[in-house]
Amino acid sequence: MNAELIIFYLFSIFLIISSMRVVISNNPVKSAIYLVFSFFCSAVLWLLLGAEFLSVILILVYVGAVMVLFLFVVMMLDINLSEITSGFVKYLNEGIFVFIIMSALLILFFQNQFADTNKNIITEIIIISDSNTKNLGYILYTEYILAFEIAAVILLLGIISAITLTHKKKSDNKFQDPDMQVNVKKEDRIFIVKDEDSK
Amino acid sequence: MLLEYLPVLIFLIFAIIFAAIMLSIGFTLGKNNPNTEKNSPYECGFEAFEDSRMKFDVRYYLVAILFIIFDLEIAFLFPWAVVVHEIGFIGIISMALFLLILVVGFIYEWKKGALEWD
Repeated sequence: MNAELIIFYLFSIFLIISSMRVVISNNPVKSAIYLVFSFFCSAVLWLLLGAEFLSVILILVYVGAVMVLFLFVVMMLDINLSEITSGFVKYLNEGIFVFIIMSALLILFFQNQFADTNKNIITEIIIISDSNTKNLGYILYTEYILAFEIAAVILLLGIISAITLTHKKKSDNKFQDPDMQVNVKKEDRIFIVKDEDSK
Repeated sequence: MLLEYLPVLIFLIFAIIFAAIMLSIGFTLGKNNPNTEKNSPYECGFEAFEDSRMKFDVRYYLVAILFIIFDLEIAFLFPWAVVVHEIGFIGIISMALFLLILVVGFIYEWKKGALEWD
């Protein structure tokens, strides 16, 4: 129990530091790496809470997704570090604006959430099995079937939008098709014309 | 339950210590007398032709995004596989519908030629 607490505090500190570095870091690629580390730390915290499946999925899916983000950063931004690091104060007004809105929302949320601890949603979940993965399976595919199918539709939307945005029409690449080469017939290549003058 | 993950923790600690030892040995025992010529970037013996931060082809992004989507699809299959014997017919139906929707997307990307590089 004591070791559990030590691990919790250690990874919480790592999580806070690395997520701060995600925002503060000037280099977008470094930010992405810190994001990977903060996902890893939160996966450890979820594991301590007993959510085994979700923590493994967090590592598998989110670290993979960050790889995409990484690619996105390298691809879309033509990184010029001096250009990014300069003009920090320029965005001060927008920064303060976002800061006020976000902190107001957080304060409102936490006041409502913890004003009455009896109505906390966590108490309403009925634990069926001792395995977290099984509990997830029991609920997700029966009670939350609509949300599950909506997830499928959202994934479909992701496929279609990614293809629509990035897929170009066929290039004029002159590659060979072995199937066509093998199946070619004599008539396709040679066309005999009758010479009428020779009669 | 958490005790089952003790090997992972031991592995993690061991990996960190091992990496730290390797790096610190390299730092302390290795000779280090740099100059500007040694520190300058080079490319196969030549001066660097261009910046390493160049733009990538957008098709890498397409492949990566499609990978993530089907990765998520497989992730949804895991808890289903654990309980499929116990949730009965509705579980089969919900997963069949889920897979059907994603197979539509798969056929779309196949016919659109998004899986081919050229």
